[in-house]
Amino acid sequence: MERKKALLLILFFTLFLSSCDVFEYHPYDGRISGETGINAKNIKRIKQNTEGKTTIRFVMMGDSQRWYDETEAFVNHLNKRSDIDFVIHGGDVSDFGATNEFIWMRDIMNSLKVPYVVLLGNHDCLGNGEYIYEEIFGEENFSFMAGNTKFVCLNTNALEYDYSHPVPNFSFMEKEIANIEPGQEKTVLAMHVKPYAEQFNNNVAKGFEYYVNKFLNVQFCLNAHNHNIEVEDIFNDGIIYYGSDNMADRNYLLFTLTPEGYDYEVVYY
Amino acid sequence: MKWYTIKKIFFLGIFLLQLSFTANAETKYDKKIDRYKNNWQKLIPTHTKLQFAGSMGLLSTGIGWDYGKHNQWETDVLFGFIPHYSDRAKATFTVKQNYMPWNINLGKNFSMEPLACGIYINTVLDGDFWVKEPDRYPQGYYNFSTKIRSNIFVGQRFTYNLPANKRYLTKAVTFFYEISSSDVYIISAFSNSYLKPEDYLHLSLGIKLQIL
Repeated sequence: MERKKALLLILFFTLFLSSCDVFEYHPYDGRISGETGINAKNIKRIKQNTEGKTTIRFVMMGDSQRWYDETEAFVNHLNKRSDIDFVIHGGDVSDFGATNEFIWMRDIMNSLKVPYVVLLGNHDCLGNGEYIYEEIFGEENFSFMAGNTKFVCLNTNALEYDYSHPVPNFSFMEKEIANIEPGQEKTVLAMHVKPYAEQFNNNVAKGFEYYVNKFLNVQFCLNAHNHNIEVEDIFNDGIIYYGSDNMADRNYLLFTLTPEGYDYEVVYY
Repeated sequence: MKWYTIKKIFFLGIFLLQLSFTANAETKYDKKIDRYKNNWQKLIPTHTKLQFAGSMGLLSTGIGWDYGKHNQWETDVLFGFIPHYSDRAKATFTVKQNYMPWNINLGKNFSMEPLACGIYINTVLDGDFWVKEPDRYPQGYYNFSTKIRSNIFVGQRFTYNLPANKRYLTKAVTFFYEISSSDVYIISAFSNSYLKPEDYLHLSLGIKLQIL
């Protein structure tokens, strides 16, 4: 009887040890529990949900690092709306690049009823953050279709990399320019850092804009990073860069793409 | 004759004096050596440790010293490793300061320390981590170090003192558990009610083998 009890206790203890996250190996251990490959899954959902639509409404937000409460409030607020197709998180889900920061933010964003994608921010590159980002969210450069619009999402955090890693990646941009998706009529580009910010590779800012102009019917560009709402025609070429605020300021950009053009507004929650 | 005796006594005296000087010098030097050896002997680690988890690696092992009137202070240096998960495997190094204010004798060779607390500084030995941000960044861009983590902990210890005839590698075995948190989590927990204790507090387990 005693032995049975002891065995049961050991079994329980082992289960307890293996099941929960009570043990942490290191804040930067890269040990990920729960869902991975978020962007790829949500890109499919966005495509399905917006198939054939010519009016698309989406949210641009970002810089949620260490603002869990505010991001949770954002998710709760957005879940009460029923007019939104998807959300773009402009990057900086983490502040220190620590593994759990990505997991916590993923869990908050996963409560969204609508699909979302997350861009790579400069804070997400700290330590081994870019590996965690890649596993949980996906590739640093990616694109997806929403109705008749292709969204091209780019890593522009050049200061976090050396020259062995192209940021921005012109080969990727060239490939995306050449690859016109079926039904694609317009393009929107999204990035964490806009040209001429301190993070950007400003030596190639004009080269970057040269490629931006090559995309099919560019509507505008989106960025985060500056923790301010910004609207700027950086290169005086008619392509406007819309910058989203950080989550501490409790607002987001709401865009509506229509056959005639587009609209945007700043929504406070 | 008299002069001869005086001379004899004089030389004997000198000889004795010399002898005593030599003996005296030897004692002084011996003392010095003893002190020298004793001082170095204090550097002999008094125990070894093995710790599982605790935000310093999957497993960490190392040596340490206990000191203080009741051996209530303890300093450890530990090497650990983080296995390959999303990123490559990494080595870690930790310096840990422990304080155990009380030791309760439970009888039958058992004792416990109802409170063990302290701090430890951990560093990741990996090129992607820096103490201060590299020069390419504007000054104070991130204002923190990815490489150095500070942790605080509280825990308890249970010790079995081996009877003298059963000692082989160690004279006492201590099992301990600790609940700890890292600076990056403490900062985050302060401003977010979203984060619950189970998010920022973590458990770790360990064994201490007392040698001296």
